[in-house]
Amino acid sequence: MDQVPTEAGLILAGVLFTLGLISVLIRRNIIFMLISVEIMLNAAGLAFVVAGAKWSQADGQVMFIFILTMAAAEVSVGLALILQIYHQLKTLDSDAANKMKG
Amino acid sequence: MSKTDFLSVVPLFILTSAAILILFSIAVKRDHKVIYVITTVSLAIDFIFLVWYKATATWVIEPLFIFDGFGTFNTGLILLTALAVTMISYAYFEQREERKEEYYILLILATLGAIVLVISKHFVSLFLGLEILSVSLYSMIAYLRKRARSDEAGIKYLILAAFSSAFLLFGMALVYTAVGTMEFSKIASHLSSLEAMPVIVFAGFGLMTVGIGFKLGVVPFHMWAADVYEGAPAPVTAFIATVSKGGMMALLVRFFTAIDGYQYHGLILIFTIIAIASMFIGNFLALRQGNVKRVLAYSSIAHLGYLLVAFLAGGTLGIEAVSFYLVAYFITSTGAFGILATLSDRDRDAELLDDYRGLFWTRPWTATMFTSMLLSLAGIPLTAGFIGKFYLVAAGVREHLWLLVVMLAVNSAIGLYYYIKIIATMMEKNEVERPASNELNPSVYVVSGVTMAILTILLIWIGVHPNGMMVLIHELLALD
Repeated sequence: MDQVPTEAGLILAGVLFTLGLISVLIRRNIIFMLISVEIMLNAAGLAFVVAGAKWSQADGQVMFIFILTMAAAEVSVGLALILQIYHQLKTLDSDAANKMKG
Repeated sequence: MSKTDFLSVVPLFILTSAAILILFSIAVKRDHKVIYVITTVSLAIDFIFLVWYKATATWVIEPLFIFDGFGTFNTGLILLTALAVTMISYAYFEQREERKEEYYILLILATLGAIVLVISKHFVSLFLGLEILSVSLYSMIAYLRKRARSDEAGIKYLILAAFSSAFLLFGMALVYTAVGTMEFSKIASHLSSLEAMPVIVFAGFGLMTVGIGFKLGVVPFHMWAADVYEGAPAPVTAFIATVSKGGMMALLVRFFTAIDGYQYHGLILIFTIIAIASMFIGNFLALRQGNVKRVLAYSSIAHLGYLLVAFLAGGTLGIEAVSFYLVAYFITSTGAFGILATLSDRDRDAELLDDYRGLFWTRPWTATMFTSMLLSLAGIPLTAGFIGKFYLVAAGVREHLWLLVVMLAVNSAIGLYYYIKIIATMMEKNEVERPASNELNPSVYVVSGVTMAILTILLIWIGVHPNGMMVLIHELLALD
């Protein structure tokens, strides 16, 4: 079977990354912002896997596992913080959580 | 694993075991004092070990870590700063939070992350160190759960830090796609075999710059700095301002030197623009602030801009200047936020300019120490800040970076204004009698007071006799 060309994989990763990026910038709900950041992280992970496949090394996949682990840690802290914010503000609108200005 | 391998990583082992020890000790009994002592002792032992185990040559653990003079120097600096932050934290958290013990685990882990960052020579260890540092910081920033603004600061930092990590990772992936290795030195040798830098590598470095710039808090990636500084507890702010930013700076210096980024004009241009923008925007935004924490946040943006001048100059003198400036900046920032922490009361941090009105008449010693910290940040002679700035200018002049040097001088003058404004406020007579806040037993404050005094003495000592520190840095960097 023919291999998927590296460029195609990278373009897919790039598109995912851009989608995540746009979505972080335009979403106002904190949970959706968190999801969008996760999409960006996974896009980077995909790019690592593609690169690892290109060089037929395991490094890319190792890096992907690290990224998954770190994203999980980040989400757990993030969700805990979001719970706290919801308790205080009764909303998840990121504009409401904007008391500091200047 | 050889014996030297083992001895080199002992500083990391001590920190991880201290974190586990604290975890167990909390399970047995929650005692703030015990946890505090464990933290202090393990950080101190770690530092003593580092000094005792004088590495005579650079040691490399393939493929992840490198233990050279620069790494050892930064490790020591990070450990001492973490120690100072621990000292400040005790009095601060004693009166504010019921569950204060876990904070020390996070502090130790964040220190560990920063140390991994400064000794890494591979993308994997870089990423690992950075994330240990960041994930600990998210929870440290939001540690005081009852304060409204700490959650906001925490979630802001989390989203932006994860966002910037994604940029950094995507950049790394692009570089890896092009060169097929993640080790700094091998990337360098691969790149030098090519005639021009491939577009994909340049794009990768560009994305990595975004990620690194966020962590350093330089313009245009500085939006988080002021809010996070304001919302985080004062000791945590001290930690972010020093260890987190300094660790990233050391990594940047190592990476850039390894790949010899000085030959790529595109990268140099990008960093020059970032440096100039950071100096100006940081200083101008600081001018119109009435909140001391925010002033310090914007001033730290400007200081990172100053540091980039020496970084761009490069060479031995440039790296020495960066190291020296980091020492001066670490001492002053920890000191300034430490004093802010001691002045804070139970409900909020002493962050408004009004909290400092007439401080010279009510608490003359604290005010004197704060003044010397601010003067050092401004770069007034007889303080470490002055020598540091002098070093930066010397490094810049040697490489004929006239534009950057002139910008540095102009900005130091602008910066003077807002530091003097705080000092002038402290001199004013305070007519309104402030109600005495119900404070703890003053003995709790002795430790932070002594730490502040030591930092002040160090500040002036290095300012008057910079030779010792210069020789130390020079010898460590000459290690091969």
